[in-house]
Amino acid sequence: MAALVAVTTAALLGSAGAATAATAPLLTAPSNDACFSCHGSPDANQTVEVAGRQKSIRVNQAVYEASRHGKLACTSCHLGFKPGVHTAAQTEGWLLTAKLTACNDCHADVFQMYRGSFHGSLEFGKSGGKAPVCADCHVAHDITPPDSPAFRASIDTLCARCHADALKTYLDSYHGKAFFLGDAKTAVCTDCHGGHKILAPSDPASTVNQANLIATCSKCHPGANRNFVRFMVHVDPTSPHSSLLVWSFYAAYIMLIVVVFTFGATHSGLYIYRGFKDGLYSRRRSHEE
Amino acid sequence: MASTADAAPTKNSARKPVRTRIEYQRFNVFHRWMHFLVFVSFTVLVFTGMPLKYKETAWARWSMDLFGGVTAAGVYHRIAALVTVFYWTAEMVFMIVMVLRSRGKALKSPSSLMFNKKDLQDIVGMFAWFFGRGPKPQFDRYAYWEKFDYLSLVAGTMIIGVTGFMMWFPMRTTQILPGEFLNVALVIHSNEALLAMGVIFIFVHFFTAHLKPENFPLDKVIFTGSVPVEHYKEERPLEYARRVREGTLDQVLVEKRITWKTYAADVIWWVITLFAGFCALLMTAFIIWAVLT
Repeated sequence: MAALVAVTTAALLGSAGAATAATAPLLTAPSNDACFSCHGSPDANQTVEVAGRQKSIRVNQAVYEASRHGKLACTSCHLGFKPGVHTAAQTEGWLLTAKLTACNDCHADVFQMYRGSFHGSLEFGKSGGKAPVCADCHVAHDITPPDSPAFRASIDTLCARCHADALKTYLDSYHGKAFFLGDAKTAVCTDCHGGHKILAPSDPASTVNQANLIATCSKCHPGANRNFVRFMVHVDPTSPHSSLLVWSFYAAYIMLIVVVFTFGATHSGLYIYRGFKDGLYSRRRSHEE
Repeated sequence: MASTADAAPTKNSARKPVRTRIEYQRFNVFHRWMHFLVFVSFTVLVFTGMPLKYKETAWARWSMDLFGGVTAAGVYHRIAALVTVFYWTAEMVFMIVMVLRSRGKALKSPSSLMFNKKDLQDIVGMFAWFFGRGPKPQFDRYAYWEKFDYLSLVAGTMIIGVTGFMMWFPMRTTQILPGEFLNVALVIHSNEALLAMGVIFIFVHFFTAHLKPENFPLDKVIFTGSVPVEHYKEERPLEYARRVREGTLDQVLVEKRITWKTYAADVIWWVITLFAGFCALLMTAFIIWAVLT
């Protein structure tokens, strides 16, 4: 299990560690304090329209500075900024820069993985704007280290923002139940699907493609064979369309439970009724003095 | 309760005439130990297993934390499962030896735990009695609800045990079966657990042992092993009459000394049974909560 965490973390991080100090333009002018003098003020209650949604312009300085990127200059991600008051017309396109393209400057290897992934192909293809970009999972200003327990514990909700059905069936599986109740070692979405290079299951290079399942499951379950990988991670027992085999056992058990409980409740209820009617509850037995 | 006037809780009690009572030995030491193992392991299994089934509820995490978190709870679940394997195997060996030694007659005896024609008549008779249309049927050693209780536990344990071990050892399982049977195993294990819990905690075992009018509020016989003979004569008239007829009554009569220890033990049985009742009520309330929300 621990090995799995390590593998996943490595996949998630790429070799991010190497990039942190070297290339980032640390605290070049204008200083972050200049930015925060407006954007960090509690009075900064204006909003700006981004992709049709109103977003607050306020950034919590303390939270930002405590984050993984806390020592970076604002302008290292908010590329293209020029000193002076910036109107909405000038800030057009800045958001996507900060949430996606600027990441490439330090995390080029991970960025390439993302670019080749299913999500990346959507973002850089026709469906741009619909797929998650870097900051959608990694958060903008309160960035959490991907190897932290807090980030791992949030992966299910991150994915579920688009894949709610998959989350439901995952949480009903062995891994999901344990994960939900606090098991930090059990497999989460990214352990099987990958983090940055997520591909559709039909893609031969996908970790969850039929051809690669044995390798993927073997990360935690060494010795997994062809039978083993036929286990269905995303199955809804209550639906015959999900798996007829699993559903038929589910349906049979529900019927059995209903029959037994109904008979039991009727039998007990009538027994109690007769007990009261005949005064059996208040009767003292002959041998009891 | 018998009056306490004769019980002498002093060291001199040995010299005074000791109060005794003729009791009917209903369960021997083997029965009582078996029940104790079932009782403890079943409770642990329910409290470490049900939170997985109803994970979204607030009590699921509470119950897991009671055992030190989900991972530790899993260990307790497996230990209790091993206890279950032990008692089930011991019971089966005991039963098979008994049946073989009697050359199969034990299965057909009136004191057998197997269902027979009379059980069907008894069920019909009980429903007639419920509606005031006949006398209450008389029972031999085991009434039909006790047979159901026992046989469903034997069969249920087998089903839940096999599916549990399938999930405990997925590698071994998939050397023989395709992986989708692990999905099937989870569905069976989880619903069989609910069924067993309903049968034991609500509809059959707790009701017929403690809550039905004849036994209310508590029947301690599975702990003490024996009951006052008059009580048993009333409870199971057919077995009593049969033993009188066959001349085997002496085999099951014991002289029980009533001392302060008897009363102390009674207090312990009350505490244990109330604890079990509390656990049963708690888990029942939890599950109703989970189903309704």
